[in-house]
Amino acid sequence: MNAVAPRDWPLRRLTGWYRRANRLGDVSTAALFLLPTFAILGVFTIAPIVQSGRLSLFEWDGLSPDKRFVGFDNYVELWRSGLLSNSLRVTLIYTIGVSLGSLFCGLAIAVAIDYVGRGAGIYRAIYFLPAVAATVAVSIVWKLLLDPNRGYINIFLDHFGVDGPNWLRSSWALPAVMVVGIWRRIGFNTIVFLAGMRSVDTSVLEAAAIDGAGTWRRIRHVMIPLLAPMTLLVLIMGVIDGFLVFDQIFVMTGGGPVGRTEVLGILLHAQAFDYFKIGSASAIGIVVFVAVAAITGAQWLMFGTGRRGVQQ
Amino acid sequence: MQMLYRSGRACRKGNEVTRGTHRVFAGIAAIGITAGTVGASGWADSAAAADEITITFWNYWDGTNGEAMQALVDQYNEEHPEVNVENVFIGFGDLLPKLQAAVAGGQAPDVAALDLVWMPQIARSGRVAALDDYVAAADVDLSDVYPEVLAVDTYEDTLFGLPVSTNNLQLFINRDLFVAAGLDPDAPPADWDELRELAADCTNPDDNVYGLELFTEPGEGLTWQFQTYLWQAGGEFLNDDNTAAAFNSPAGAAALQLWVDMLQTDESAPLAPWGQFGQGAACMVMDGSWMVGGFAADSPFDFGTAPLPYPADGGPATNMGGEHAVVFTNDDAVTEQAAFDFVAWMSSAEVQEDWDLDTGFMPIRSVVAESPTYLEAIETELPQLLPFVENQQYARSRPPIANYAEVSDAFSRALEPALLGDTDVATALNDAENAVNELLTNA
Repeated sequence: MNAVAPRDWPLRRLTGWYRRANRLGDVSTAALFLLPTFAILGVFTIAPIVQSGRLSLFEWDGLSPDKRFVGFDNYVELWRSGLLSNSLRVTLIYTIGVSLGSLFCGLAIAVAIDYVGRGAGIYRAIYFLPAVAATVAVSIVWKLLLDPNRGYINIFLDHFGVDGPNWLRSSWALPAVMVVGIWRRIGFNTIVFLAGMRSVDTSVLEAAAIDGAGTWRRIRHVMIPLLAPMTLLVLIMGVIDGFLVFDQIFVMTGGGPVGRTEVLGILLHAQAFDYFKIGSASAIGIVVFVAVAAITGAQWLMFGTGRRGVQQ
Repeated sequence: MQMLYRSGRACRKGNEVTRGTHRVFAGIAAIGITAGTVGASGWADSAAAADEITITFWNYWDGTNGEAMQALVDQYNEEHPEVNVENVFIGFGDLLPKLQAAVAGGQAPDVAALDLVWMPQIARSGRVAALDDYVAAADVDLSDVYPEVLAVDTYEDTLFGLPVSTNNLQLFINRDLFVAAGLDPDAPPADWDELRELAADCTNPDDNVYGLELFTEPGEGLTWQFQTYLWQAGGEFLNDDNTAAAFNSPAGAAALQLWVDMLQTDESAPLAPWGQFGQGAACMVMDGSWMVGGFAADSPFDFGTAPLPYPADGGPATNMGGEHAVVFTNDDAVTEQAAFDFVAWMSSAEVQEDWDLDTGFMPIRSVVAESPTYLEAIETELPQLLPFVENQQYARSRPPIANYAEVSDAFSRALEPALLGDTDVATALNDAENAVNELLTNA
């Protein structure tokens, strides 16, 4: 006997028959709500990955109606020719360098901005600018800056009597692209760390201050450990971005010299669109997927969600 | 109370019922109107389309070339009211990927103008129509098309495309820099020795000016420039049946040695990103006819062109580029025929002459190259194009193998250490030969 019908009576009427019929009402309702997300994820993310895996077992030029099944030949051939091992090595160096470099720089700058306090908004905007600038435009500008004869960097070094090297055509190529990569990521990391710092309970810091901890000790032993979740986030994103880098390197070096900056993305692009080898390209795509999944998984296992050890 | 609940709707407060019902009806009405409009317009469109055959034409011509092509397309549409050709511009870097996706999705265009380097792969794909029967039926005259140009469209003795543009490489000279170095800009180098001398004389390290710009970055740019020197020295890139490398020869060594001498010994050629000549940092460069129009309009320096110098014991030769049009297979024979007609029209002599004059592309037919009206127009408007026109007959096409891109990349990678001074000429050529042979045997 209901005095007044509850407000959600249309929903209950509609789902009533469903929930009455279903003993595990709550679980299946939850499943129903998750269905759209899984459907979209399945169609736009999981299906292409599976299809890519399938294609990596074939030889196909991307145009003709015939695909030839070759099993793991694509993988074997890529490894045997040394292309895949070189590419993995370059990508790993790039990824580790950029994610760690931008992590430390981003953290340092975030701590500095937080410490200074005033003008934080302006500093945030300035440091975030590289992250939002168009990758190709930025890469072209850097390429011009690094021009051995007319680029400003070498002209600047010349003033000090230092003969600047041919940056992008020598063994300096990989460090040079890494510097540009770090420069781009710093802003994003800074914003993430600043947001993390905002959410840190000031009472913890005050307690530390009362206990006699100076500014530096407070930063190093209280603030930074409390930022562990942010650090994990930044590292994971850095790794994923590092493995997927393409535009910047394509514009600056095209993978040269002699493959010194040929990351997996460049190799994939060349295989698919220059050589008409979709099977090989898919194989590289699967390698990237497995590598990123493995590294991310390892990070999760090692650091949990970052919250362990921080709980009081 | 239960009774009230059951007949809830009629007994609810007036506002809620009205609002709710209004919303439902409004929604149904909106959907109905939209569906009706879309359906009606779609119906009208299909009624109009039944009269016209639509031909989608994909190409990467932009700027003035794009405008010239659009003008041609408009002209064709006017002269042929039963056909509507749609000129679709797709950037050079995107055209192949988009084509692959479109073909896979069953949305291939009807006609596409493609870089000639892609032709071997496209011809093999089974997605483009063989044109021999169409050519015979329409009695298209291909007798005056340069043989090397037409060879690009042929695969296993079948014609799979028609040329619509071509170009070649010759020597560009920065006249201002020549004069500044005390050299005569009207006396271009006649052979390799003079080329090396003039490059060395014109080099001025204090001003960051170099004598000759070479393409030294890995990739097809390097390969296709090098091939020119190789051919001039009498060498060949691959053997006759394209099964093995042929560049590891005295001619190849001479060509590579010339480059290394200028890059490392004389330092008259820079190891810099491409584009030094355009910035006024190089006295000479080997570049294509397509650059002439742009330089004439925009360059801040006075420039001249000249035929490429070749070694005394060699002969004139140059590399060619260009676009070739293909017709994608279509179940509808009428559409395929209409697509072919458009392609044949594009490569006809009359259209080619106007097209070449508007774009600066080289003639694909000797009839155009020797036509008095064409030559007169070139001499008055853009005389710097003359060396290109006169030497188109010496332009050679690259090996028509399916994995040419891979071969070219492997070749340029193997040569790079020699250009950077990290290894000697013989080693580089040996490495290149091994790499290329491996790719050719695996193909």
